Amino acid sequence: MSDNYVSKFVIWSKSAAGISILVTIFVAVFAAINSGPYLIVNTIVTGGMLALVATGLTLMLGVLNIAMFAHGEFFMIGSLTAFYVFTPISNYISENPESFVAVIGPLIAIICAAIVGAIAGIIAEKLVFGPLRKRSTDNWVMNSFLLTVGLSVLLVNLHQLIFGADFKGIVGYWSGMPVSIADVFISRDRAMAFVISAVIVAIFWFFMTYTRTGMSIRAVSQDITGAQIVGIDIEKIVLLTISLACALSAVAGGSLLFMYPSYPTVGLEPLYLAWFVVILSGLGNILGAVAGAFMVALLKAITVEYIGAGWDFVVPSALIMLVLIFKPSGIFGSDVRGALDQ
Amino acid sequence: MLLEVKNLDAGYGYLQILRSVSLNINEGEYVCIVGPNGAGKSTTMKTIAGLIPPMGGSIIFNGEDITGLPASEITKKGISFVSEELNLFVNMSVRENLYMGAYIIKDKKVQKERLDFVFELFPRLEERKDQLAGTMSGGERKMLAIGRGMMSDPKLILVDEPSFGLAPQLTANVFESLNVLIKTGVTILLVEQNVTKTLAVTDRGYILENGKIGLEGASSDLADDPHVRKVFLGV
Repeated sequence: MSDNYVSKFVIWSKSAAGISILVTIFVAVFAAINSGPYLIVNTIVTGGMLALVATGLTLMLGVLNIAMFAHGEFFMIGSLTAFYVFTPISNYISENPESFVAVIGPLIAIICAAIVGAIAGIIAEKLVFGPLRKRSTDNWVMNSFLLTVGLSVLLVNLHQLIFGADFKGIVGYWSGMPVSIADVFISRDRAMAFVISAVIVAIFWFFMTYTRTGMSIRAVSQDITGAQIVGIDIEKIVLLTISLACALSAVAGGSLLFMYPSYPTVGLEPLYLAWFVVILSGLGNILGAVAGAFMVALLKAITVEYIGAGWDFVVPSALIMLVLIFKPSGIFGSDVRGALDQ
Repeated sequence: MLLEVKNLDAGYGYLQILRSVSLNINEGEYVCIVGPNGAGKSTTMKTIAGLIPPMGGSIIFNGEDITGLPASEITKKGISFVSEELNLFVNMSVRENLYMGAYIIKDKKVQKERLDFVFELFPRLEERKDQLAGTMSGGERKMLAIGRGMMSDPKLILVDEPSFGLAPQLTANVFESLNVLIKTGVTILLVEQNVTKTLAVTDRGYILENGKIGLEGASSDLADDPHVRKVFLGV
C-alpha cells in the first residue's frame, strides 16, 4: 500500500505541477534560511489574498468565458466599502477600546465589502454582461473582454468623481501586540488577513467539490450544453458565479485595506498579479489558481528581496512569457481532452 | 400519446432546416429517425430537447405544450437527451457525472436508487466510478452519457447517433444496452445513420429527407420498402 503511494508521489513529482510545486517549496525554504523568515510571511499573506482574486478570475473565465479585466475594480469597491464602514467603527473603538467591537468591527467591515462586491457583480451582470449575452452572436470572448475594459475605466473614474483621488486608508484593523511565531513578529492584521483567506479558500473548495450548487458551477464551466441537458438553469448559475467571483475580489480588497489604501486605481496591481496566476496555473483550474497564487507571491517577494523593488513585475512577466511559449495550457493545465479529439 | 410533434419548423439563424416535421411516439415504444447526412435528424432532436428554439409548430409531451421551453425545463418534464457530442463533464469523475444527471432529483435516497439502477445496467461504469470522464474510451463515454441520461428517471430518452465514431464491436454493445433500456419501460427515440441495424432493432421508424418526413411506418416494412432499399441500403 505504502509502495503505491510512493510510486504515485514519484510520478506526480515528475509532472509539471509536481516539479513547480517542489521547486517553489525548495526556493521558499532556501530564501527563508538565507534572508529571514519574514519573506515567507510576506509570501503567505500576499499569496492568500492573491488566491482569492485569482479564483474569482478563474471562475469568470471558466464559467462565463469572460476575460475579466475589471476584476481589480471589484477589489477597489471592496476596499472602499471597508474604509467607509470601518471609519465610524474605529472612532467608536478609540473611545471604547475594551468593547467587543474592537474584535468583530473589522470583520463587519470585511463582510460588508463582500456583500457590496457581490451586489456590484450582480448589477454588472444585469446591466452589462447579460444584455451582451443576449445580443452577441459570435466573437463573445473579444466582445466581453472589451466590455470589461470599458467597465474598468468607468468604475475607476466613478470612484474619482464621487470619492476623490486621494488615498483612503486606515492605520490598522486589529490593534495590539504583534503575534510572535518562532521569533518572527507578524502584525495582527497580517495574521488575520492570512486566516481570512485560508478560511475562505477552504470553504470555497468544499463548496465547489461537494455541494450540489458548486458541482453545477463546475458542470457549466466544463460543458454548458451538457449542463442544460441535465436540467441546470444556466441563468441562475451565471448570476451566482459572477456575484461569487466579485465578492471574492472585494473580500481581498477589504482585508488588505491596511496595506493598500483605497484609491481609484488600487485594483490594477492585484488584477495584473491575478492574471499572472491564471496564465501560470492554467485557465479555469481553481485549485491550480490557489497554488499558483502562492508561487507568484513568492516570486514577487524574492524579486524584491534579491533584485530590487522596481523589478517585481518584470520577473513574473518574463516567467509568463516562458510558460506561454513552452506550456500554453499552464503548469496545472488539465491533460483531459474533449470528447471528440481523442 | 407520449410525444406529439406537429408541423415543426426549426433551424439555425436564418437557415431553416426542418420543414413541417410531424411525428408521434407512444409510451414504451422504440422509435427511430433515419436519414442521410444533413437531413435534419440532429436538429429535430435538439429542438425537442429545447436546445434550439422552434420557428413554428408545436411539441406536446405527456399532454402538456412544451414548445419553446428552455432545455433545463424540458429535462424537468421528463425528457432526457443524449447528444451526439455526449456533452460529458470531462473533468469530473464518472460518479459525479452520474450525480449531475440526477440534478433535477432533490431526494438523496432516490438519487442513490437511480445510481444503483444505472450501475446495474452498466456494470462497467461501477468499475470505473472514480475515473475522470475525459480519460475514458469512446465506448465507455457513450455508456456514461446514456447512463447520465437515465439518472433523471426520464419518461422519454432521445439518443442521437450512438454509433458515431465507434468501432463495430462497440456499436453492437451500445445497441445492446439500448435493448436493455427499452425493457425497463422507458421510451426511446433513436437517431442513427446505421440504417440496417437501426431498422432491425426498432419498432417504428421515420425517414427524414431534406428536413421533411419522407416515409413512416413499422421498421420491418421500412426495411423492405423499395425506395428505402435503393437510397439507404444500396440494393
